[in-house]
Amino acid sequence: MENIALAEPGAHLSIWALFMQANWVVKLVMLGLLVASIWTWAIVVDKVVSFGRMRLALNRFEQTFWSGQSLEELYRNLAERKTTGMSAIFVSAMREWKKSFEKGARSPLALQTRIDKAMDLALTREMERLEGRLGFLATVGSAAPFIGLFGTVIGIMTSFQAIAGSKSTSLAVVAPGIAEALLATAIGLLAAIPAVIAYNKLSSDASKLAVRMEGFADEFSAILSRQIDEKVMQKAA
Amino acid sequence: MKAGLTTSVIMHAAIIGFCLFSLKAPAAFDVADVEALPVDIVPMDALTQIQEGDKKSPMRDKPAPLPTERPDVVADARKVGENSVDTDKPATPAPKPQPVDSSTAPPPAPEPKEPVKTEDVPKPREEPKPVPATERATEAQPKQDVAPEPVKKPEPKPEPIKKAEPAPAPPTQETTAAVEPQPKPDEIAKAIAEQPADEVPLPNSAPAPDARPKPQQAEAESPKAPDRKDSEKPVKQASSKPKSDDKEFNADEISALLNKQKPSGGGAKRSTQQASLGGKKSTGGDKLSQNEMDALRQRLGGCWSIPAGVDDADTLKVSVRFHLDRSGMLEGRPEVIKGGAASGPGRTAAESAVRAVQKCAPFNLPVDKYDTWSEVVVNFDPSDMF
Repeated sequence: MENIALAEPGAHLSIWALFMQANWVVKLVMLGLLVASIWTWAIVVDKVVSFGRMRLALNRFEQTFWSGQSLEELYRNLAERKTTGMSAIFVSAMREWKKSFEKGARSPLALQTRIDKAMDLALTREMERLEGRLGFLATVGSAAPFIGLFGTVIGIMTSFQAIAGSKSTSLAVVAPGIAEALLATAIGLLAAIPAVIAYNKLSSDASKLAVRMEGFADEFSAILSRQIDEKVMQKAA
Repeated sequence: MKAGLTTSVIMHAAIIGFCLFSLKAPAAFDVADVEALPVDIVPMDALTQIQEGDKKSPMRDKPAPLPTERPDVVADARKVGENSVDTDKPATPAPKPQPVDSSTAPPPAPEPKEPVKTEDVPKPREEPKPVPATERATEAQPKQDVAPEPVKKPEPKPEPIKKAEPAPAPPTQETTAAVEPQPKPDEIAKAIAEQPADEVPLPNSAPAPDARPKPQQAEAESPKAPDRKDSEKPVKQASSKPKSDDKEFNADEISALLNKQKPSGGGAKRSTQQASLGGKKSTGGDKLSQNEMDALRQRLGGCWSIPAGVDDADTLKVSVRFHLDRSGMLEGRPEVIKGGAASGPGRTAAESAVRAVQKCAPFNLPVDKYDTWSEVVVNFDPSDMF
């Protein structure tokens, strides 16, 4: 049995063959989209892991904070470690509080303002860490389809040029070029769809965490304000 | 971040590898083999034209005309008689004539002739009798005149018949046919003249010389006539020589003189194949197609300015007949054959129709179908125009 090349034309339409037949521009587009997809998934994995850790840390901190432990003791425990999330906010606020009282600050109002600012700064830093690289997901989600489309258009253009040269318009001549060009769009969509989904999910998660941390910051600010008032009353007395 | 990146790379590598090895090219679609149905686009002309053939024959692939028949050529009879076959033997073997011939014939022959000669007419008639063995009605009449005496004549006849035998024979030689009858009347006339010296008027009236030119003329006049008729004619004329004056009114001869050959002349259209279905005549494409008729109609409609302000549209209906020459130019004035009137709106309508035809000429029509449009009848009807 001799294998005639034409007997199995489908062999030339496997994904690898389609990629190898493509124009170099299309190849470049496909490779770029592949890299974007890889990076997208890397971010997704990283974010999912770090958000999980963050949520865990918040839960644990809230548990210890409301366990009745004294703030001084808690501060002493946390100040030595690397802090994230609420603990970072707590540590920054406590540090500002201690600095002000150790130096003998007299104005309670100014102290209150400084502590709030320190907590805002810590909160912003934490949020930045949480939401960092989520922008890349958004970019991939919106731009990848267009990039893929660009590859497709280029591929169809070149394949039509080739068809014009071959002087035949049968579907068997037209189809492979089109299929190969459409592969670029497929890859673009393959990168974009998870990116969009992951962006929506992660950004909503990040905003939830931020709300939690803001709530804690407000609550801690109220506690410190009460403490300041008590100190001022003691001194006045 | 490193963990995420490595995880992602590994995942992509796994998925792509899986795709490369598992996702082959999709199976090609099964295309059912459908036999191509040939579709011919045939112009209307091809359907309306009729091939020559036989109306009763079945449809065949090849058109073939009805085979023409050629009449068998039958040689002219050399002997006189009523036989179907031309032999020496007399058709009706009459026992009587034979004995008569040998003994009694010669003497009585002159005798009966003498009284006949006084009448001038019957004598020459005797000669024709042998020839028109078919006994034509025209010759039967003279016989009746002679009837009383000639009861015996049948007996003497055989003699003249024998004499006459050479006479019909020469006619087969066609050209000399007319000339040879001459000697016989002469001989007979001489024989008659010798025996009865009294009959001087006979030779004078002997129509033979008069008759001579006539057969020649007759031949000259009817060269086209078929051979068979040629042989008969001189004989008849010879027989009718005495009558020469009345001869021109003979209806039978007129029909004989008519040229019965078809004017088509020339060769024949035929084939050795079985005739196919078709008409008597091939009308291939000599009908104007619908397109051509529409074009003509539209052209005439464009040239026609409908008279305005007429209440009754029916008065505007006009049929016009006109003749065209091969170049499409109008021949003569178009003739109103229907509609129109001597005065009033009808006349206006008729004139407008005639003017439309004149204005439109020359018409651009296919020359090969000239037979169909040499004469055109156009119905001008304003209701078709709107």
